[in-house]
Amino acid sequence: MSGDSRVLDCRDLHKSYGDRKAVAGVGFHIDLGETYGLLGPNGAGKTTTISMVCGLLSRDAGEVTVIGEPIDVGQIHAKQWIGYVPQDLAIYPDLTAEENLAFFGRLYGLTGKQLKARTNAVLEVTGLADRRDDKTEEFSGGMKRRLNIGIGLIHEPRLLILDEPTVGVDPQSRNAILDSVERLSGEGMAVLYTTHYMEEAERLCDRVGIIDQGLIRAEGTRRELVELVGQRDRVRVAADGDMDAAAAAARLVGGVEEANRSDSGIEILTNDARVILPSLLRSIAEAGASVKGVDVVEPDLEAVFLHLTGKALRD
Amino acid sequence: MRAVLIIAAKDLRQRIRDRSAIIMGIIAPFALATVFSLLLPTAQSFHTQYAVVDLDGGPVSALLTSQVLPGVVEAGFADLTVVDDRAGAAALVEGGEMGAAFVIPEGFSEAIMSGRDATLTIIGNIDAALATQIAEAIATGYAEEVNAVSLSVAAALGGFTTVQPGAIADLSSRAAAFEPSILVEEAEADSKQMSDKTFYSASMAIMFLFFTAQFGILSLLSERRQGTLPRLVAAPLGPWTIVIGKALTGFVLGVVAMTVLIVASTLLLGAEWGSPLGVGLLTFGGVVSATGVSAMAATMAKTEEQASGWNAILAMSLAILGGTFFSLDRAPEFVSSLSLITPHAWFLRGLDELASVSGTVADALPAVGVMVAIGAATGTVGLMRARRLVMGR
Repeated sequence: MSGDSRVLDCRDLHKSYGDRKAVAGVGFHIDLGETYGLLGPNGAGKTTTISMVCGLLSRDAGEVTVIGEPIDVGQIHAKQWIGYVPQDLAIYPDLTAEENLAFFGRLYGLTGKQLKARTNAVLEVTGLADRRDDKTEEFSGGMKRRLNIGIGLIHEPRLLILDEPTVGVDPQSRNAILDSVERLSGEGMAVLYTTHYMEEAERLCDRVGIIDQGLIRAEGTRRELVELVGQRDRVRVAADGDMDAAAAAARLVGGVEEANRSDSGIEILTNDARVILPSLLRSIAEAGASVKGVDVVEPDLEAVFLHLTGKALRD
Repeated sequence: MRAVLIIAAKDLRQRIRDRSAIIMGIIAPFALATVFSLLLPTAQSFHTQYAVVDLDGGPVSALLTSQVLPGVVEAGFADLTVVDDRAGAAALVEGGEMGAAFVIPEGFSEAIMSGRDATLTIIGNIDAALATQIAEAIATGYAEEVNAVSLSVAAALGGFTTVQPGAIADLSSRAAAFEPSILVEEAEADSKQMSDKTFYSASMAIMFLFFTAQFGILSLLSERRQGTLPRLVAAPLGPWTIVIGKALTGFVLGVVAMTVLIVASTLLLGAEWGSPLGVGLLTFGGVVSATGVSAMAATMAKTEEQASGWNAILAMSLAILGGTFFSLDRAPEFVSSLSLITPHAWFLRGLDELASVSGTVADALPAVGVMVAIGAATGTVGLMRARRLVMGR
């Protein structure tokens, strides 16, 4: 990516609380239209990192720029590019949904028709248009979560920062939130998404930084991370016929590292199951076996995290 | 500046919506001012009957019967009934018809003029303690006046140890005529004070102002509790913008509450606050001090509940010490002096100045200045701490 598309650049961030190092040299960047996930367990340093990125928290060392402008507690201009969605609900219960949006919109400089238009747009996006005049204390948890995200979008930020937005959310609202993030990213917004849910990071993020004990242990696309730690896809083919011949044929397929007969068929290890699957199945069939079912098990980020840190994400 | 106003407007909307500011700032003080005005005995509503027994009939006793006591009648505190003898007066007092009786014994004037001791007797009614206390105060003042007259006469006579009764009587009358009687002087002093309805309206207004003004900075703790403070800090605002916006909320609430109370107590209770300009300046000073003090109290706490509790204790302590529940006139001198650390005492003092016959707005300016100084000193501490709260969260 060129420098022009760089939305967020963090370099060597450090933050300590007394003797405890919360963040110890975190660095990453996010480009236009990219969703970057910080994946790590509770206490890994995710919230501290994004607090420094947003200029909420002073840092001990390091640099943060947003759209090329430095940002810190005392450097407020670049804050206008950021839409921040904190982990906990940050809405006024005694104000209506529209009043909440309008208040924060005004703080970001929106006025008049522009404010009205953005408020209407966000109410539509969050599905709260018909509840716009209701106080948010009357909202369900999911509605509050949607409004919480909507406030972060009111001023059309260039960078949306979501700090574990699905914690404590019911499955339906969670899906709605994930859909929204996917749509925003598709529209060109840069997104920084922190989570300790592996499946969310896998679904949403173009690149993931695995963070633990204040350090990014590894970074890349899901496949890059999986390859980094030497994990392989596992393909289980259920079939009838001459399994020995089928396994031998499978071994000849390019990309297959191992192929062994199992109780119900053949078990194959490969770097990328999706690439080899058509030729693999054709070879097995040509060897005289009748394929009845295929099960592909791809190594996930949970396995990567376990490999990198020696512990599970939810430890 | 725009962001400051946006924050203050949002906070004001919230406070008006939850009615807490209206209750604390307007309804509660007005209700208490009304109750106090109606129920508590006041100087203006006090009235009693005094019996006077003049067995002397001399020139010194005449000073009491024809100058001092008529002054009491003129001030509207009492009516006088002349009784022929002590027993009759005692019977009237015991029967509850009189609040007290003044008994001037035979030979009283002569004794005084001869430089001998003389006794003026007050027969008190055990069921009318206030009337008796006032009678004693009148008699004491009279006795001091008589002593002053005697001394002045003795000086005029060039140190003669024995003086002619006629000359003394003449000089006594002339001296008494030139010296205003004690009660006349007190009546003038009362005219410098607010009416009771004004006093209670003002005292309740200034007391509750310290509860109303707290809603400004206190809401920073609310923002922190409900998670909106990080969102404010994440917006392109400096920390001072947030803090000043909150302080402005408290200030505006205070000004509005005071204005409504002043208008309402004037129209509904008949309070007489004085010059609008002077009252406006005193209100400004009071609100500045309340905003500053409550900002300091709120930022010493970690939670809203703690801050409200501390502010309530501080507000009540200052109110009591500042003389909002009772006049400091009868308090020990050190209490009166100590009260001057409170904005409440200065606010009431400023209104007293405005209420005096010759009072001008300039007379209230020292009180305004002190209140603004108190507000500036405490507010500086409070706002600095509030900024740290915003930055550190």
